[in-house]
Amino acid sequence: MNKQFIIASLAILFSIHLQAQEVVLKGKELFGNLEARQIGPALMSGRIIDLENHPTNDRILYAGTAGGGVWKSSNGGASFSSVFDDHAQSIGVVKIDPNDPDNTIWVGTGEIWTRNSVSIGDGLYKSTDGGANWKKMGFENSERIGSIEINPKNSNEIYVGVLGALWGDSEERGVYKTVDGGKTWNKILYVNEKTGVNDLIMDPNDPNTLYAAMWEFRRTAWGFNSGGPNSALYKSTDAGKTWNKIHNGFPKGDLGRFALAIAPSNSKIVYAVVESKEDKGLYRSDDAGASWKLLNGDFGLVVRPFYFSRIVVDPKNPDILVKGGLFGSISRDGGKTFKNLGSMHPDIHDVVFDINNSDRMYVGTDGGVYRSWDGGSTMDMVDNLPISQFYHISVDNEEPYNIYGGLQDNGSWWGPSSSPGGIEARDWNRVGYGDGFRVLKHPTKNIIYSEMQGAQNVWRYDVDKNYTKNIAPLPIKGEADLRFNWNAPMAVSNHQPDRFYMGSQFLHVSDDMGDNWKKISPDLTTNDPAKQDKESGGISTDKSGAETHTTIFTIAESPIDQKVIWVGTDDGNVQVTQDGGATWTNTVANIQGLPKNTWVYHIEASSHHKGTAYAVFDGHASGDMNTYVYKTSDFGKTWKSLVTDEIIGFARNIQEDYVNEDLLYLGTEFGLFITINGGKNWSRFTNNMPAAAVHFIDLQKKTNDLVLGTHGRGVIIIDDISPLRQINQEILVKDVHFFDPKPSIIKEEGGFGGGSTELQFIGDNPSSSAKIIYYLKKRHTFGKMTLSVQDQNGTEIVSLVPGKAKGINIVTWNFRKKGPKVAAGKTFTFSGFTAPRASAGTYKIVLKKGKKQYESAITLQNDPTSLISEKDRIAHNKTTQELFNDMEDLAYLVHKIDQNIKKAEAVLKKVPASQKVTSAVVKELNALKETLVVTTGDNYVDEAEPQLREKLSDLYGEVAEQFEKPSFAQLENQEVLEARLNEAKATYEKINGKQIAKFNKYLEKSGETPAKILSKEEFIKK
Amino acid sequence: MNALKSITVALVLAISTSFYAQTADEIVNNYFENTGGKENWEKLEGITMKGVMKMQGMEIPFEQVMMKDGRQSTTIELQGNKMIWAAYDGKISWSRNQQTMEAEKSDNEATENMKKQTKDWPSPFLNYKEKGYAIELIGKETVDGTETFKIKVTKDPITVNGQSQPNISHYYFDTENFVPIIIEEEIQEGPMKGQKIKMSISDYQEVEGLYFPFSQSSQFQSMDFKEFDLNPEVEASLFAFPEGK
Repeated sequence: MNKQFIIASLAILFSIHLQAQEVVLKGKELFGNLEARQIGPALMSGRIIDLENHPTNDRILYAGTAGGGVWKSSNGGASFSSVFDDHAQSIGVVKIDPNDPDNTIWVGTGEIWTRNSVSIGDGLYKSTDGGANWKKMGFENSERIGSIEINPKNSNEIYVGVLGALWGDSEERGVYKTVDGGKTWNKILYVNEKTGVNDLIMDPNDPNTLYAAMWEFRRTAWGFNSGGPNSALYKSTDAGKTWNKIHNGFPKGDLGRFALAIAPSNSKIVYAVVESKEDKGLYRSDDAGASWKLLNGDFGLVVRPFYFSRIVVDPKNPDILVKGGLFGSISRDGGKTFKNLGSMHPDIHDVVFDINNSDRMYVGTDGGVYRSWDGGSTMDMVDNLPISQFYHISVDNEEPYNIYGGLQDNGSWWGPSSSPGGIEARDWNRVGYGDGFRVLKHPTKNIIYSEMQGAQNVWRYDVDKNYTKNIAPLPIKGEADLRFNWNAPMAVSNHQPDRFYMGSQFLHVSDDMGDNWKKISPDLTTNDPAKQDKESGGISTDKSGAETHTTIFTIAESPIDQKVIWVGTDDGNVQVTQDGGATWTNTVANIQGLPKNTWVYHIEASSHHKGTAYAVFDGHASGDMNTYVYKTSDFGKTWKSLVTDEIIGFARNIQEDYVNEDLLYLGTEFGLFITINGGKNWSRFTNNMPAAAVHFIDLQKKTNDLVLGTHGRGVIIIDDISPLRQINQEILVKDVHFFDPKPSIIKEEGGFGGGSTELQFIGDNPSSSAKIIYYLKKRHTFGKMTLSVQDQNGTEIVSLVPGKAKGINIVTWNFRKKGPKVAAGKTFTFSGFTAPRASAGTYKIVLKKGKKQYESAITLQNDPTSLISEKDRIAHNKTTQELFNDMEDLAYLVHKIDQNIKKAEAVLKKVPASQKVTSAVVKELNALKETLVVTTGDNYVDEAEPQLREKLSDLYGEVAEQFEKPSFAQLENQEVLEARLNEAKATYEKINGKQIAKFNKYLEKSGETPAKILSKEEFIKK
Repeated sequence: MNALKSITVALVLAISTSFYAQTADEIVNNYFENTGGKENWEKLEGITMKGVMKMQGMEIPFEQVMMKDGRQSTTIELQGNKMIWAAYDGKISWSRNQQTMEAEKSDNEATENMKKQTKDWPSPFLNYKEKGYAIELIGKETVDGTETFKIKVTKDPITVNGQSQPNISHYYFDTENFVPIIIEEEIQEGPMKGQKIKMSISDYQEVEGLYFPFSQSSQFQSMDFKEFDLNPEVEASLFAFPEGK
């Protein structure tokens, strides 16, 4: 090897070394303990796909949800906990291994009730510890898994029914079998790349007998097809080796989706609901599928098979069965007749019967889990499943700000980001029916815009008047019908408060809050008639408007120039006008690497530069699961991709930071991704943030809170992301770096909240405390670390619990100083626990880590809305401090009394002859003490009469807690109590000069030391 | 040439070490090795821990005694009153009623579960097989911004509200120094049942040859230790239920 080569190699190594100096922190290394806050709500909950109960323990129940993962209840459905946060949140099936039901749980991801808005899964998972840990067991490209069947005698023998891809061809479908517990899988039944397994069931009494329903189906962005020649029902009696079609008695011709169930108490009885043009309905077989008889074609049984194809038979009675549906139907005569289940949220997807008592049922709906105790007649909703599915959210500028949003099948709502006692169900207000989508607050008036699917209604709600008007744009005479997306776009102008935009295939603008509309664009879509299917559904026509295509989907008016407006369409056009709509340019052809006609999910007009915008494309509805994020800086003439392979999932939304343009927040189908360098690197945010689909992101301007609308885990907030703005290479190489904090406001508030039951979800409030935010290059693990708040002289005000994570640490300080030393009594004085508040001003922050010390400062400010004068604050502080001192004086006095009593009693016990001198001390001091502190009773209804300590601490607590200057009554009371305190001190001195002095003399004579009395300083410090 | 070769070898070594798979046993052994040696941990008969507990804005001085035979006692000082707040004497587990401040016995399930905890001394990982516990390396995970080995420990099932239920905890061992930095446990009853609570542990310091974390904090409370005394002399009255009061 020649010398040159060596030098070249060394140079390469050297340059690698140089590059390595740029610190790139990923995920938790960067975010440290910056945590998300999940605020729900749970009051409308969200779509449930599959319920599964434990075969022997009636307290255990799992719920597989459409977009919120898997939830487990261990108390009979009273409360649920999420057990699947880190994985795909869209669930198809949950299955408990009957041989090891406490521990082994299987989850197939990818929801199977294939509505237009469904998410995707990413395979099969297994837990062997009741859901604590999960391991992926293959099927990465299955997209949707609908069934898992486990041999009740052999846990290694498992069948999986894969429904497969919804929007494209896929060979990863069919029935799969493993005989080695999931290590290897064989495909044992497969039809073609368009046909998947919509249900697979095993005869509970014979594990070799299986039934498989195959379904031919396909969705596009503009249509849905259920059924075809390949839909069929198959049976195997040899553990899946051979399969036979069992259609004896079924209608001829193309069939659609089946619903399928065996009666657990009698394997001969099999029920099937058949989707067909002719003779659709519920079929029953009494000979294990050899022949079928049509029993009933009621609406409740045949409605929307793609959404409702679940039959469940009572485990004890083969003639009681329930069918999912719009309302859910129950039969008690073997399927001949049905009635609706009790009133609950419509769209019933699954039902389970309690293992011991069939009157107890659990039902999964589009609005969460319901419980019944009377065989499905009355229904009670589970109030703690925060799996709400937002399509969109926005925030206002109130304090605390509100969050607005629309949800899948659950209308539109708004609620506060903070509320006394936490964000409760009652804090949320409804602002629309049906499916809810975009909800926007008028920038200056107390008016909210909301809508339902396809802009069937666009509501302008006057909150103060409680008055609603439909303001949807209507077709103009002589022009085309309007095509609105299911999730129709609306926007409020950044420049004209009354200006309101809506998009059909045209862009509409109103300057009077929707009363009158003007069209300011031609048809901005491709207007491709092939994508305007009006007869969607296949075998069962399904016209809901959900498939309306070639529409505008996103509107973005530039925050800098009102004449610059961006429009994105669901068929892939990125249109921009720079003259308020007079002329439009379609810029999509300038984007490299983007497949044609890819849905423009979001355009974000930059708040930094007029020509800058971000566009997020989502191709999932054409089977393309890639991530597409682009940025332009020249009005769309050129575009740059911001995608790296660190991003997981197709993207739906991007938010640009208002301060640091290199800071971007991206929402994908699998969570939140953040870049601090303009898209060069992305980090997934996972601190209390599940892998939920993020449909929309907003950034609140006053608080810098990042607010996420997730489609399955409600609203998730990361409070104050401003530290992320400050991160740069200089900071990342420092051992400790304090971020510049905003001044902390000592809010003058205190109200009443609470009242929710312990089973109702309550969203956490943000911390209202001061925040000390710092970066640690390395986690602190060895040696002492302390964090102290000090006044300007270096006197400690309070010591805090430091955060020790690598990355960003946030430590809160509730503005309180140390509490007073309280006199010892028999019981507690609750006011005595009050710590006085620190005054506004600047404080030193001292972080000690081993031998090193790092300093910063924090500024506290009084509530700017306060009416309290500076003079009053001084008076308040003065009295608080005086009472604080009184409390400690009293404590010290009682300490002296107690020490002397203790000593005297000890001496008396040892030397009975000392009785005269010791009992005088004990008697006098006890008499005094009884007037100072409570010496009897308890903390409840046997409470003793309050003494000086109780009275003093009540006054101290009250004064310290308030913000105003003390009232005359309080000052008068202070005088009274201080007089008593002084009197007590004098009495003590008298006793000290007499009885105690005698006692001490006695002690001296007998060679003993007097009672050990600390100095006041020592006592306070103790 | 030689120089290049050694650089290459070094790089290969660096890569292969980082890919070197650790087993749960190796991680746990490293932990004991790095914190004083297994033998010394086995010799430990008891500890007294003094410190300050911070919760709900209060600072409460405490003294906690834990013994090898399972006896334990927590003394706290509140408003000048020093009292044993909760204790277990090997048979009876008790704590003070907050209204009357009198001692009351824990319910039978809690006492039974306390008895089972005796085996955890001084760490559930020390001779875990003899205790009948199982450990499993779940994988690497980043917690507190730090790469860790996540190890599951399965202890004897406990009984809650009449039902036996699995008792699983997760310990996250720093991959750099093999000490646990987070302990994660499941809430066993009430409406939060099933949710996980994370305890962050840090400020490891040496005490007579053994390393103890001087700081432990969770979302509910934090404990700041000032002093650890090993193998203390203790009086039976520290643990005993105060009868007839």
